[in-house]
Amino acid sequence: MSASPIARQATNVQAIPSRRVLITDPTQMPDVYSSTPGGTVYSTTPGGTRIVYERSFMMSLRQSPISQTPPKCALPAALLKNPNSVPNVIQPSPAQKARSNSISFDESQETFSMDL
Amino acid sequence: MAGNNTEEVEGSATTETKGTTNTEVPPEFLIKHPLQNTWSLWFYDNDRNKTWEENLIELTTFDTVEDFWRLYHHIKLPSELRQGHDYAVFKQGIRPMWEDDANKMGGRWLISLEKKQRNSDLDRFWLDVVLLLIGENFDHSEEICGAVVNVRAKLDKIGVWTADTSKQHANIEIGRKIKEQLGIHGKIGFQVHRDTMVKHSSATKNLYTV
Repeated sequence: MSASPIARQATNVQAIPSRRVLITDPTQMPDVYSSTPGGTVYSTTPGGTRIVYERSFMMSLRQSPISQTPPKCALPAALLKNPNSVPNVIQPSPAQKARSNSISFDESQETFSMDL
Repeated sequence: MAGNNTEEVEGSATTETKGTTNTEVPPEFLIKHPLQNTWSLWFYDNDRNKTWEENLIELTTFDTVEDFWRLYHHIKLPSELRQGHDYAVFKQGIRPMWEDDANKMGGRWLISLEKKQRNSDLDRFWLDVVLLLIGENFDHSEEICGAVVNVRAKLDKIGVWTADTSKQHANIEIGRKIKEQLGIHGKIGFQVHRDTMVKHSSATKNLYTV
């Protein structure tokens, strides 16, 4: 199946682009000295190329399951389409402020009593 | 070339979702596709008790196509924002303000939208502009700094910010590409930030027009 260069890289073995080829018979050697047994390892473009995506390709990734998952970063509730669907929502609610204040208060108390 | 593969993959993705079997997920759906640049998503809040700069918030960054979509699917569209709000998408490290070193010598291609276009064109234009940017679809994409959408009572605006106004060839290529991609029939103009600083954008004359 054909895939984009990025997908090919990622879904195949990715570590170092090298492999071992076991040669059991001289006939398995390539005809020319310029070729490596099993093919050249330089089959991919080395770094330095710009990563370009066409609109249609990016649009096709829109429905990918990964693309549907909620973002991990904290976002203001006012910006979210559906605040309940995202785990980290920044709620500027007074209740939360009060709670965070009480936490810092507790911490300072604890430090104080340990010093005693 | 990536372009040729793209269409094949797109086709296979469509049949996969329509088919009844889910056994083979297309390889494109298993991975995240890295972008050339890391981009920051900014939001301009319109809180009158805060300074302009305090209202400007860097929400998050993304560096893959999928992470862009994750954000896009969950945050409001420009047309759903309150008037006075902005979104901006800039290369990480560049603040969406004229004063930033990367913008000092720069300007913007400006697309003004009439009020009736808020429902028909604003969200589509904004998405297409962002995709042009993050997909590196310009021959001179190194000149790109970012893009801003302003949601305003009178005119909504989308600006594509570039780094150096003196690079005529690069800026015109960028302008033409934007116009072509968005399907804009009228003229769009390129304004120098330094001119916009001293005058209202409506009174700023265009350095380039396409």
